[in-house]
Amino acid sequence: MKTLLATSVIGDARLLAGLDRGRLDRQAHLWTHGAQPQLTRAAYAELCEAVGLKGRGGAAFPVARKLAGLPERGIEAVVVNGSESEPVSRKDRLLLTLAPHLVLDGATGLAHALGAPHVLIAVHDAEAAQSVREAILERDDRLAIEVTETPGRFVAGEARAVLSALEGGPAVPPGRKVLPTQQGYHRRPTFLSNVETFAQLAVLARLGARSYSSTGLSSEPGTQLLTVAGAVRRPGVIETPTGVPLETVLQYTGADAGPVLLGGYHGRWLAQTGVTLQGVGIVVALGTETCPLGEVHRVAQWLASQSAGQCGPCVFGLAGLVDDFDRLIRGEAEGWYDAQRHLGLVPGRGACAHPDGAARFLASALEAFDDDVRRHLAGAGGCGRPVLGVLEVTHG
Amino acid sequence: MARLEIDWTRCDGHGLCATLLGGDVALDEWGFPVLKGREITAGEVPDARRAVLACPALALRLDKSVKR
Repeated sequence: MKTLLATSVIGDARLLAGLDRGRLDRQAHLWTHGAQPQLTRAAYAELCEAVGLKGRGGAAFPVARKLAGLPERGIEAVVVNGSESEPVSRKDRLLLTLAPHLVLDGATGLAHALGAPHVLIAVHDAEAAQSVREAILERDDRLAIEVTETPGRFVAGEARAVLSALEGGPAVPPGRKVLPTQQGYHRRPTFLSNVETFAQLAVLARLGARSYSSTGLSSEPGTQLLTVAGAVRRPGVIETPTGVPLETVLQYTGADAGPVLLGGYHGRWLAQTGVTLQGVGIVVALGTETCPLGEVHRVAQWLASQSAGQCGPCVFGLAGLVDDFDRLIRGEAEGWYDAQRHLGLVPGRGACAHPDGAARFLASALEAFDDDVRRHLAGAGGCGRPVLGVLEVTHG
Repeated sequence: MARLEIDWTRCDGHGLCATLLGGDVALDEWGFPVLKGREITAGEVPDARRAVLACPALALRLDKSVKR
């Protein structure tokens, strides 16, 4: 497993502050960020509302609304979802490995405010888990803090799959759609969010709404972490103000010209340029040397392999789409038609959003790579480019 | 007012729902139900409930909460 990538910052360093010298232990953390203020639940709700903080795990759910969905009392746990099962993303394990105290401050501060006795941290990466365990020993939070290593499968990172794994069950999403705020850890009210969300909460608690809003978009101020990968000279995790232009990030990281994927393998290929980045944690530059459809086909195979195998439309639909893309690449027009049909049959028909995300990724590929589709369907060796494997897929 | 719901982790594509509720459920090419997504009116609830009870995998449900 490749360890951590480089970090860089455009504008203010908040989450990544002080990390140029490596991992922040308790002392270095306090030196860099200062002590965590003790806030009430009402203060957290007010702060999150004021800055419009959204969950940083991909779904971008407003944190203030999640807090409002919790009952007055009887909150069992605060859960930090650090499973980061998206294969390109590195931001969460980077935070857990290098700035564990910031994440712990966010989680324990909120747990105290909510009166939750447990803080549970689900981590997939062994190095990140070790770092958090060491950090916990340096602190005295008067809470039961537990670190659990969860499986790496894509759908194992889904909120309810994480809760199931934390309870000792299988790391798969359950069939019933329940909200963790109502029925979470052991069916008790639970606040669950992504690692970066808790780091943002820790920064927000210290800065207050006004200072927190001194950078980024006025509608959703602050900073964000992006994992930049693919055909770029300086891949890694980068902290930017929200709403930074994509072009700036591409230039800063030395990306090759060519198509760009936003949001990872549940995200979408860009059809237009001139976009700004918000609510997106991953930027992948494809470059121009590789066959885009061949790359997408490899990811489609991986996405199909990552299905938990629980839901028929996901199992058969994604397998069908892999075959459709294969035929399309070999120049069979039937493959394109079948893909269009299958893309309509997959979304919304599973226990989790894996089929939806996979379909979104594949549908946007067919749109963005329309010219390549035509070249492949015209026969005679497709687009003439090899498949270089720019899009990384884990575990074969 | 109610709406049909499928627990996809349970559904094995037996297809009884499509036979019993042809107006609300179709089957895809793999034999799994495609819901038309329409509200089930009070008069149709008995039929819908019968289909729910007939599902061999206990995957079909009638959601009566007013959501969405």
